[in-house]
Order: sequence, then C-alpha cells, then structure tokens
Amino acid sequence: MTHKKAHPASFRDPSGFMFVEEGIVKRQINPIYFKQYFALKDSRFFEKLFNSQVLIPHEELSHSSEQIIIQPEHIPFITYPYEWCFNQYKEAALLTLKLQKFSLEHGFSLKDASAFNVTFHKGKAIFIDTLSFDFYIENSPWRAYKQFVSHFLGPLLMAHYHGAQSLKLMSNYIDGIPLNMIASMLPFKSKLNPFLYSNIHLLAKFEDKYHEDYNGESKVKSLSKKAQLNIIQSLYDFIKKLSLKEHSEWGNYYNKINYTDAAFNLKSDIINNWISKLNVKTVIDVGGNDGTFVRRITSNIEQALVCDIDNNAVDYNFKTIKENKERFMLPFVLDVLNPSAAIGFNNKERDSFIKRIKKFQPDITLALAVIHHMSLSGNVTFEMSAQFFAKFSKHLIIEFPKREDSWVQRLLNNKADFKDYFGFYNIENFEKAYTNYFEIIEKQPIENSERVMYLLKTKHD
Amino acid sequence: MIFLYFDPAIGAMIVQAIVAAIAGVLLFSKNLLLKVKVFLGIVKPKDEELFDDIDIERSEIEKKDSSDS
Repeated sequence: MTHKKAHPASFRDPSGFMFVEEGIVKRQINPIYFKQYFALKDSRFFEKLFNSQVLIPHEELSHSSEQIIIQPEHIPFITYPYEWCFNQYKEAALLTLKLQKFSLEHGFSLKDASAFNVTFHKGKAIFIDTLSFDFYIENSPWRAYKQFVSHFLGPLLMAHYHGAQSLKLMSNYIDGIPLNMIASMLPFKSKLNPFLYSNIHLLAKFEDKYHEDYNGESKVKSLSKKAQLNIIQSLYDFIKKLSLKEHSEWGNYYNKINYTDAAFNLKSDIINNWISKLNVKTVIDVGGNDGTFVRRITSNIEQALVCDIDNNAVDYNFKTIKENKERFMLPFVLDVLNPSAAIGFNNKERDSFIKRIKKFQPDITLALAVIHHMSLSGNVTFEMSAQFFAKFSKHLIIEFPKREDSWVQRLLNNKADFKDYFGFYNIENFEKAYTNYFEIIEKQPIENSERVMYLLKTKHD
Repeated sequence: MIFLYFDPAIGAMIVQAIVAAIAGVLLFSKNLLLKVKVFLGIVKPKDEELFDDIDIERSEIEKKDSSDS
C-alpha cells in the first residue's frame, strides 16, 4: 500500500480523505465509513443524486478491507462561498436543504452542512463532499442544523439586511459566522418574525446557554422525522424567497458607458478574431461584468471564468446562465486589487485565487476596460499589473483606454489635487511596462473611441 | 455511530423541537391560506422562478427524463 498524502484541506472528517495522485483528485474511504458507503451505493442513493446532477459523480477505482478509493469527476476551477454572488449563495443553500430532505426520505442524513461542501460546476451548484451522508437515527434532530444556520442562513440574512458584501465575511469565518454575531446584526424587527426568532435568536440563546455543558449532561430531546422535515421545508421556503434590498443597477450598464454600438461590436469582433486564431479552449475574463463579451465569443470555449468585483454584475450573469442553461461559464465575485487569500489551518485549507488560477492556467486572459481602474483607482503601476497578468496565462487581450477617454478623465478628476501624480498614465508608458513581460502580437485601435486593443503573449514559457 | 468532528451544538439540538413546532404552524397556516386563496380564486399566477422546489426526484429526475426523450 502506498502512503497517500491527504490534501491539506481534508482532515476534519475521519471517514476518509482527499488526495492528489499524478494530478488527479481522488478520495480514500476508511473502514469506519464502509457501512455507510455500501448502504449508499447499494440503495442507488449515489446514482440517483448523480443522475439529478446534485452530487459530483465518482467512480470506484479499487477496494480492499483497508480502503476504498473513488475518483470524483474533475472540477476545473473551485470557487469558494466568499466568491459567490447572492443567488449563487442561495442556490448552494437550497441544494444543501434538498439533499437533506432527500437523505431523510431514504434513511440518511447530512452529518455536516458546510458551505464549502458545495461549489459551482457546469452552470450550477453541486455538492462535492461525498462522505457527508450518514445513517439517519430515528427521532434524532439534525446534527448539522447549527452549521447550516451559520454557513448559509446567517450569511444570506446579513446580505439581505446589510448588502451582498456581507458574504465576504465567510473568508474570515471558515467555520461559519458566529450565531451571536448574526443575531446581534439583525434588526430588532427580526425578533417579531417567528421564523427568524426561532431560527436565529432562540438558537443563539440556546447555544449560549448550553455551550458550557462540558459533561454532556444536557439531554437532547428527540425530534420526529416529520418535525425535522418541517424545519427543512420552512428553511427552504424562506431562503427561496430571500432577496437583496439593494436594487440592481446592473441591467443598463452597457448603456451608460461611452461606446457607440459600432465601437462595441468592433471590440467584440476584434476579440473574436484573435481568439479564433489562437484555438483557445479556456479563458478568464477579469472584470468581465455580466459575461457579455465572453458570451459573444463564437469559437468553442470549454470553460470560461468570468469574475467581477460587482456582486450585481455577477448575479446578473448567473441568472443569465441559469436561464440559458449555459454550462461552460463560471461566474464569481473577485476584487482584482484584493483577490481571495489562502485561509484555514496552515493557510492551506482553501487556496488563494492566485494559486488556483495558476493551476487552472487559462489559455487566455481578457482584461477589458479594467486597466484604468487598476491604475487610477487602485494606484497599481503598469509594471505591477503586467507582472500580475503574466502570471497565469500565455495570452492576454487587454483594452487600454487612453488618457483622453472620458472614463479615464473622470477617474483622474476624482484624484483632485493629486491628479498630477498620475502623469504616468499614457499609452507609451503602458507599452513600455507591458513589453517587459509580453510581446505585442497585435494592436488595434477601436474606431470612434479613445481605446486601443492589444493581443499580447508572455515572453517566458 | 456518529463522529462529531465539529462542534456538538447541544443547544442547537435541543432548540430544534421549538423551531420545528413553529415551522409546523407556519407551514400549516401558509397552506391553509393558499387553500383559501385557491377557493376564492385569488391566487396570483406564478412568475417564472429562478429556483425550483425542494424535491430532487420530482423536480430534477423527471425534468431530465423529459429532456432526454
């Protein structure tokens, strides 16, 4: 038996662990979980969930008395809860509840309800922790109820009351947002709502009351399956209806920017033309808004990552993906000036954005209408942004709005007295810095605008 | 046997009896209200919803079958 090194994120559950062998993610199941595994397999529980595309499919590679090895379907790029837009977060929460209901009806129960058990793949949320299912013990409450509230209901409520940026809190609370913090941040009127009172305030009170019971003397009351299903159903109904208070200002973004239709189409044609020549299969659009430009690519893209700092834009994109049933596009929220860090024990449980994107290595990066924000709002020098973009893909399509562009002018005017400090922002300096890392393959101005498109290729391989 | 590799959450286990009772009342009254509305004929037509209902087999497996055929 070869010794397998567990993935640094896979240590919490003694049932098994994930490991990487020759670049392929596999999962070892320990004898402690054999009974559950066989019950799930023999009752076609797994198969039904695979068919309905709610659980990541796996195949069994080997099995002995000491271990079973399964290989789950490859997910090209993992996104984490703190990178999801509001409706993605909702979908992940609803998926977890669906699975718990399905499990209960088949004699199982989810033993944990971490938001990190879900990711997005082929246009929808999918459950990735195959070993989370355990036997349901008659009349026992849901073991993962508290975890569900702190991982899903809590963050969604915070987003509802305080804005979608609250979802970013999950990057600080890998074990879910503390209940007393959620309770204290909800408005007083939430106490008058029976659903919120019981699921948040009363829960926080009870947890507070019993958390010092080190001897385990408190008796856990029994709860019928019907009663637990009522909890699950009411959570589902509530979350399904939950919305953001902030109204989306997204819909008409492209009407606000300074493009004529012709320039807009020309930009899209330039991208299409360059991409089709390069035989691109994977792409990341940094600052990709609602995915408009990626959607207009005519060649066959296998996986497109589209990230943006604006939750509304990502949400709009996600809704479009759902409506069109698109499978190749993965939207997520990302601030390019502060990309997701590595978190968890040893800083290794959840990888940083940079580590994940370097591994994914998209064939091409699109950076459209983003350089002026990085340079003028973020004060990131051309040298630094060039270095950043050169890190993860061989080709870069970048749009440079010249100093005369009205958006650039607006950003410069925002600098008020410090406007002079940004004298460096011009096309000569841009090219000088970027050619340290890239060679210019093509360069094409967009007619009737103050913008220039570049197709660049990294100098190192 | 259940292995608690996370917080045992005793309070959360105990409180579920109350949460479930309240959920039961809410679901019952919601259904009742719906029945009354259906009876009176004032049920609003449903908008196209982004998310489907909770049942996996009904909502997902059937959909798959119908799209395959």
